[in-house]
Amino acid sequence: MPGVPRAARVYFETLAAQRCVLGVTVTNILVVDDSATIRRMVRAALQPVTDARFVEAETGLEAIERLAFAPVALILLDLNMPDMHGLEVLRFVRAHTAYREIPVLVLTTRQDEDSRAAALAAGATAYVTKPFAPAALAAEARKLLERGGVGAGR
Amino acid sequence: MTETFILFTLAGTTYAVRTRDVQHMEMVEEVTPVPNASPFVEGVVFSRGQVVPVLNLRTRFGFERLAPDLRSRLLVVQSGGRTVGLLVDSAREFAGIAADAVKPPQDTLTGLNGRYLEGIAVLNDRIVLVLDLAAVIDVAEPLAQGAKETV
Amino acid sequence: MPGAERETGRFSDAFLDDYFAECDEHLRAIRAASLRLDAGLDAGRLEPAAVEQIFRGCHSIKGLSGMVELGEAETLAHELESYLRTLHEGAHGITRPGVDVLVDAVMELERVIVARRDRAAIPDVSAIVARVRAIAAGGAAPHVPTAAAALPAAAGRRWQAVYVPTPAMLERGVNVNSIRERLQALGTIESAVPEVAEGGRLAFTFVVALSDAEPASAEWEPDGVTWTRLANVPPARAEAPEAPAPPAAARFVRVDLARLDDLMRIIGDLVVSRARLADSLERMERHVPAAEWRAAQEHRTALDRHVRDLRQGVMRVRLIPVGDVFDRMVFVVRDLAREYGKTVRLELHGKATEIDKLLIERMMDAVLHLVRNAVAHGLESPEVRQRAGKSREGTITLRASTVGDTALIDVEDDGQGIDAAAVAARARAAGVEVPDGALDADTLLELICAPGLSTRERADRGSGRGVGMGAVRAAVQEVGGTLTLETDPGRGTRFALQLPLTLAITEAIIATVGDRTFAIPQAGVSEVLEIDPAAVRQLENNEIVPYRQGTLPLLRLSRVFGVPEAPRRARLHVFVTGRGAAAVGIAVDRIVGQKEIVVRTFADRFIKVHGVAGATELGDGRVVLILDVNALAHAGEMRGVR
Repeated sequence: MPGVPRAARVYFETLAAQRCVLGVTVTNILVVDDSATIRRMVRAALQPVTDARFVEAETGLEAIERLAFAPVALILLDLNMPDMHGLEVLRFVRAHTAYREIPVLVLTTRQDEDSRAAALAAGATAYVTKPFAPAALAAEARKLLERGGVGAGR
Repeated sequence: MTETFILFTLAGTTYAVRTRDVQHMEMVEEVTPVPNASPFVEGVVFSRGQVVPVLNLRTRFGFERLAPDLRSRLLVVQSGGRTVGLLVDSAREFAGIAADAVKPPQDTLTGLNGRYLEGIAVLNDRIVLVLDLAAVIDVAEPLAQGAKETV
Repeated sequence: MPGAERETGRFSDAFLDDYFAECDEHLRAIRAASLRLDAGLDAGRLEPAAVEQIFRGCHSIKGLSGMVELGEAETLAHELESYLRTLHEGAHGITRPGVDVLVDAVMELERVIVARRDRAAIPDVSAIVARVRAIAAGGAAPHVPTAAAALPAAAGRRWQAVYVPTPAMLERGVNVNSIRERLQALGTIESAVPEVAEGGRLAFTFVVALSDAEPASAEWEPDGVTWTRLANVPPARAEAPEAPAPPAAARFVRVDLARLDDLMRIIGDLVVSRARLADSLERMERHVPAAEWRAAQEHRTALDRHVRDLRQGVMRVRLIPVGDVFDRMVFVVRDLAREYGKTVRLELHGKATEIDKLLIERMMDAVLHLVRNAVAHGLESPEVRQRAGKSREGTITLRASTVGDTALIDVEDDGQGIDAAAVAARARAAGVEVPDGALDADTLLELICAPGLSTRERADRGSGRGVGMGAVRAAVQEVGGTLTLETDPGRGTRFALQLPLTLAITEAIIATVGDRTFAIPQAGVSEVLEIDPAAVRQLENNEIVPYRQGTLPLLRLSRVFGVPEAPRRARLHVFVTGRGAAAVGIAVDRIVGQKEIVVRTFADRFIKVHGVAGATELGDGRVVLILDVNALAHAGEMRGVR
């Protein structure tokens, strides 16, 4: 990776190594929502379409902490969280090379058009409105996992 | 369809209850009497961490009450959400009885027992009375010994 | 039960328990915040943090309700959220009617959720929704000043705490959430910013205004936190301090109460085994070398301690602060005050007192009833109070505390007290025997709890459920507690509930009657006497003995239970239960000792015998019946012992 400081390269390589333990690819899906019930529902909805492992975060700060220590293939992000708004988490993710490529699926409130627009502008790959139908969420998530990359954010 | 039953004896007669209704069986140890309870409630025992009322089937069916001995058994049964212990003379056998082998009790079989029976079966020339568990433990009034029942 | 829902096969059905539990948490936080909002309004200001908290709670409930398809809750929560948003954004000021509607709406929201939980008909929310919309749309309200944001920290108090997470610490359970909580306990967090440094290392920078002196840096180091004091310059923008972190749900585990019951039962078994072991050890003393035996005794003592600690630990898990229940009372009282046209102030003491969750649930209705009575009948109208020289506003005080193994809950009012003469007259008219002369508090309590005297209560709204004073006392007695009354005509009334903290293990006195052994819970016994059998007198067909300045009716257990009495003994042992004129003495043959017993209740109709509360196993394998002395005493009364 030309142009990337050596230390950062080591960091990325470590992440990559984690990803390929014993030749088996370990995929993690990060679910960020302040409601434990919603997190459980998201897991249940996605379980049928992937054998990825789930990592949960209750707050924006925790989500960022989790990202640093587990290779994440997809982030499901709630916007309205008390400590750090989902948009800030999104901006952080898009601002750092290590995470920029991760697809982010944002959960927005039905009536909130503005948040939706802001999320897409901040780099969300896709969005699903709450309350979500589990099948719709699963389909969207699978698409993103298969693509394995970040969309244009538009 | 054949179901498994536990066979027990009471005053010389053999009765049967479905094994699926019987939680477990044990020897009768000390039964603590409960004052002012019905006459055929022998008392209570502790069984598997639960306090279980003991129904003396002898008195229930109008037979003479005898002190429990080494052969007496306590059958802890469950019916209608209740757990009750049945005190019987002895209980040693299991038997499979086919559903169509159980005949309804005939009108000629008068006496208290008729009311508590689901039916009668014959096993190898032996008459086995199949109990209606729910009726047995559903106590309305105590019935005096030897009283004839009008259905 | 859960999961075996009706066959709609909805995805969300499997999450209903979580839904109810989470909504419960949110509603609790909303209630507490509403109280703060209310208090703020009384003081003439708007509390932005409280508004924010209610707003978030409603938003969360809205989202969750949408997921489980509970439309009424979703709609109502949405309306509340909109209203609160206008408050939050300062478009409207807060008004008294606004808070009233808010409180009513929150109560209605809870009712909807509870209805779903109990599979009852969901109430129609259109009326309350209209009210919320109306108040939200209502014109500009008189501007209420916003509570001043916390002043920027005084000089020398602002610190920077940098937290660098590592996999090792995460494994230990140290993470940014736990660090943040600890920081919050020290002071106010002004900001929290994550950064990825050059080497790819992640760090969280917190700016904290400490309430106390310096942080103990050495304590924080092993958890990856470094402290730096900041310059005295207050932040450039006057930002409101960070809103309180979400209720630390991550630290809590939801536990099915049934599993806790299982744990308690197992502990009960453990207590019995321990007692059996003690017995065996005693018997072995003669056969074992002294040193060995002493060592065994030491181990047993240690075991005793561990079992006791374990029991207390499990009991503590079931404890919840009574403040949750008390908070509800505030809204109930407000409603009642409006209904009866009284002005009421509710004082709550001991909100932090922790009581077994099951106990609270059983007692909730009883306490509610006492509070309702206090507002409806205890307190006078403002006019009457004024004429009597009292403040127009009546006060109701709720107190909770624990003393050893007992919880005490008081409901007190400064109203007109109970008119003993009126109660006596009504009782006589209903055919109840009333002793002549002045009635003491205990007799008065007896009378008002007697069935058939609740005509006034029947006239009250909502009392169709038949919760009379009789039911209150029955509920208290059912859990092995006692209810007492103190009243002062013209000054007020106080009901005191004394409840055993543990439903399962209790101190009992072991006694024999004839050849039977019984256990009598210590809590029901006020005194133990030894009486000379010759002192017993016959009065009509009852027996009495001299007691204090008067007499005590005597009830012989041998007669109650039809057990042959032991041959004439030198002394009669008598338990005194009840107080004052309601005291009854229960005579047994011998008192064997005192023991901690595990109470196993039984409710099968075969053995639902008056006077028997359950059974227990003494350490030596004997099964012994536990007596309900209260019931026995009253049985004696019914036979005209008095």
